[in-house]
Amino acid sequence: MNKTILGYVPEESPIYNTHPATRILFLLIVSLFPMFISAPEWNLLLVVLILILMRYSRIDFSILKLYVPVAVSMGSIILLSYTVFAGNHPEFHELARVLGIRIYYERILDAITVYFRILPMIFIMIYFLSTSRERDIIVAMRSLRIPYAVTYLVAMALRAVGMVIEDFSIVRQAEQARGFDPVGKSIFYKMRKFVMYIIPLFALALRRADEFANALIARGYSFTGLLSNPKRADYVLTHYQAHYWDYLISFVLIVMLVALVVMRYGLGMLSLEGSLTEQLLRAWLLN
Amino acid sequence: MAIVRFEDYQWKYANTKEFALRGINLEIEEGTFVGVIGPNGSGKTTFAYSINGLIPSQYYGVRKGHVYVAGREVKEYRADELAKQVGVVFSDPEAQFTAMTVEDEVVFGMENIGLTVEEIRERLEWVVPLTEIGHLMDKPPYEVSGGQKQRVALAAVLGMMPRVIVMDEPTAMLDPISRKRVFDVLGRMKHEQSNTVIAIEHNLENLIPLADRMVLLYNGEIILDDEPRPFFEQMDLLLKHDVFPPGAIQYFFELLREGYYNGPLPLTLDDATARLRQLVEKVKEQS
Amino acid sequence: MSEAPYISVNDLVFRYPDGTLALDKINLKIYDGDLMALIGQNGSGKTTLSKCLNGLLKPTEGSIIVDGLDTRHTSITSMAKRVGYVFQNPDHQLFNSSVWSEVAYGPRNIQLPPEEIKERVQEALDVVRMPSRYYEEHPFFLPKGLRQRVAIASILALRPKAIIVDEPTTGQDIKQSREIMEFLVDLHEQQGHIIIIITHDMPIVARYARRVVAMGQGHILADGPTAEVFAQPEALAKTFVEPPQITQLAQRCADLGFSPRTLTVEEMMEQTRQILNK
Repeated sequence: MNKTILGYVPEESPIYNTHPATRILFLLIVSLFPMFISAPEWNLLLVVLILILMRYSRIDFSILKLYVPVAVSMGSIILLSYTVFAGNHPEFHELARVLGIRIYYERILDAITVYFRILPMIFIMIYFLSTSRERDIIVAMRSLRIPYAVTYLVAMALRAVGMVIEDFSIVRQAEQARGFDPVGKSIFYKMRKFVMYIIPLFALALRRADEFANALIARGYSFTGLLSNPKRADYVLTHYQAHYWDYLISFVLIVMLVALVVMRYGLGMLSLEGSLTEQLLRAWLLN
Repeated sequence: MAIVRFEDYQWKYANTKEFALRGINLEIEEGTFVGVIGPNGSGKTTFAYSINGLIPSQYYGVRKGHVYVAGREVKEYRADELAKQVGVVFSDPEAQFTAMTVEDEVVFGMENIGLTVEEIRERLEWVVPLTEIGHLMDKPPYEVSGGQKQRVALAAVLGMMPRVIVMDEPTAMLDPISRKRVFDVLGRMKHEQSNTVIAIEHNLENLIPLADRMVLLYNGEIILDDEPRPFFEQMDLLLKHDVFPPGAIQYFFELLREGYYNGPLPLTLDDATARLRQLVEKVKEQS
Repeated sequence: MSEAPYISVNDLVFRYPDGTLALDKINLKIYDGDLMALIGQNGSGKTTLSKCLNGLLKPTEGSIIVDGLDTRHTSITSMAKRVGYVFQNPDHQLFNSSVWSEVAYGPRNIQLPPEEIKERVQEALDVVRMPSRYYEEHPFFLPKGLRQRVAIASILALRPKAIIVDEPTTGQDIKQSREIMEFLVDLHEQQGHIIIIITHDMPIVARYARRVVAMGQGHILADGPTAEVFAQPEALAKTFVEPPQITQLAQRCADLGFSPRTLTVEEMMEQTRQILNK
């Protein structure tokens, strides 16, 4: 099993036949797809496709359960903001009035559209994070010729996040050992105490930064600026080879993106007007 | 010619009143294993940092006299040039990691000093088995145990093939078994490589069998500097300066003092066992 | 001992959320008057066990009864009044802006009246011998030794019966280690606290601990008076811990008349005089 950022993926998963750079391209390009798709049913199809890819990559579907609350609460927030906080629009079809708030058909349709645009993006992100390790991200960035110093900063940032999370849990235990009991206390009380965490976390970070700078110098690393890129061998990159299918996948992804743009803006397809969702909703809500 | 030479060396940190090191004169021949001991606050870490250039490059203070490595003043080296001469292992295993996986960590220094991919591969072939970290290469360095971390740090330093390796209490944070394994690696290194090693340690039991020479630092000065056996014969001087030799040595020193024994001080447990047996059997035969 | 234990651990099993078994059927009784060292290599379960003792971690199976209270059903506040835990790194446990308020933090959490808080803070700072000129200093800027004392004082102010100290001597030299230990022994003898030290330093254990509990792979492998535990090389080997060098020397020469329970150089000399002057 390989530990990825979000979970574990079996070592024999076909995802490891692809170069990390291909995976990051997948993330970047496919996340753009929903931008060009307004019709919710097509975005739903995209979600299904990603689920199929996840299954193919042997990702444990149980991690998806963690994101159900996220998806639900996001849906409710979007729906609320498009209905309750929709404002006054005499030109729209008013469906009902609840406590003086006007509910419009158009707003509900908008909410559904937005929601189904965001949903595939979340799935793409989950897919990427559960098939990539921190190292893959760095390797991908380096093979895309991003300057070494930049990729190094990103690596340090990722590392720092991990350390802060670890420190955080110890500090919390230390507070409990001193009789701090958050159970049954008001939210403001908790907030105020929460601020206290920041002091030790900051102290630890400061001391570590010092030691870290020493460690870098001891390894002969001199930070010579972001753009001056002195020639250095990249041993780790040699473990990763791009195969013909990496180029093929990248090519197909780009073609798909271009095709989507053409379909949307050239041929006027994939739009909300006349989409299946719109027809169904119209039939249901506007008799 | 001495590989490391201190000449009337003094250092005072900008934020303290007293000099941390006061008039150090010392010559270390290439290939020797030097154990440096002394209580906390005696200047051991300052001593180490003065050899690997962190002093004066990373700290503010007053520097007098000279420190030469391979015939050249430390402060005249560029960071990456000095890293090729002097490698350092710090005491906190957490604080010296700079990369996402053990492998990245080990090759980071080698990449920094400008080695090619082939050279890096060759060096990995001997340094990885030497430090027994082969099974850890894919893991994040902060997830392995403390002892494994120190072996990784050692591998990273050895890979850069410095002529001098400085270790600042490399086992202070480890449990006894991990400590022993780090010293096992040092023992192998001593037999297979010709590096000069300067080891600062509180843990004398493991250090003494490896050391060719012992140095006692106290309050910024060298109090005693000799081969291990004559060094530990100065028991009163050592105790006066808060150095407490391992039990077996203290015991034999008491035997000497009370006239039960008049041979050389045993430096290891095996040696002590053999000598105690001889002693008791001889007395029994006589009576 | 016939009296009731202060802490009683019964068939304790602890699993981490990811399923790793950290403690497997632990049974342990800790009595008023114990000065105990918890030893074993990293990952043997020492820290997990000690965090269970003060309720920071709750048992997966089995139970821990402290002063008659089951840790599963007892609030964090009432546990903190009974079992204190000093973390290894002082930086993890200092979150206030002055030494005084740091030590007062615990008593305030358990909602004591202001006069009592003041009294307890003063007492705790006196016990750790904190000079009064540091009272208003920010703990962050104190040297490590003093930060550690603040951490101990902040636990003492809660007046727990038992105090667990996680690796107090790591990174200290022998003289400093002895000072810390002598201070803990004082707390034990004069204030009557139960002291539990987690440590890797066997010479320190031999010198100061009255009882040793050795752990390995989530089990207790040996438990008894210090000399007795060090005299069980097979059990110790499983914990990857070696007795102090002088004890090993005595054990290797046991056939010559040395006691395998020898703990110090002085004891060894005593025996030598007898053996050689016969």
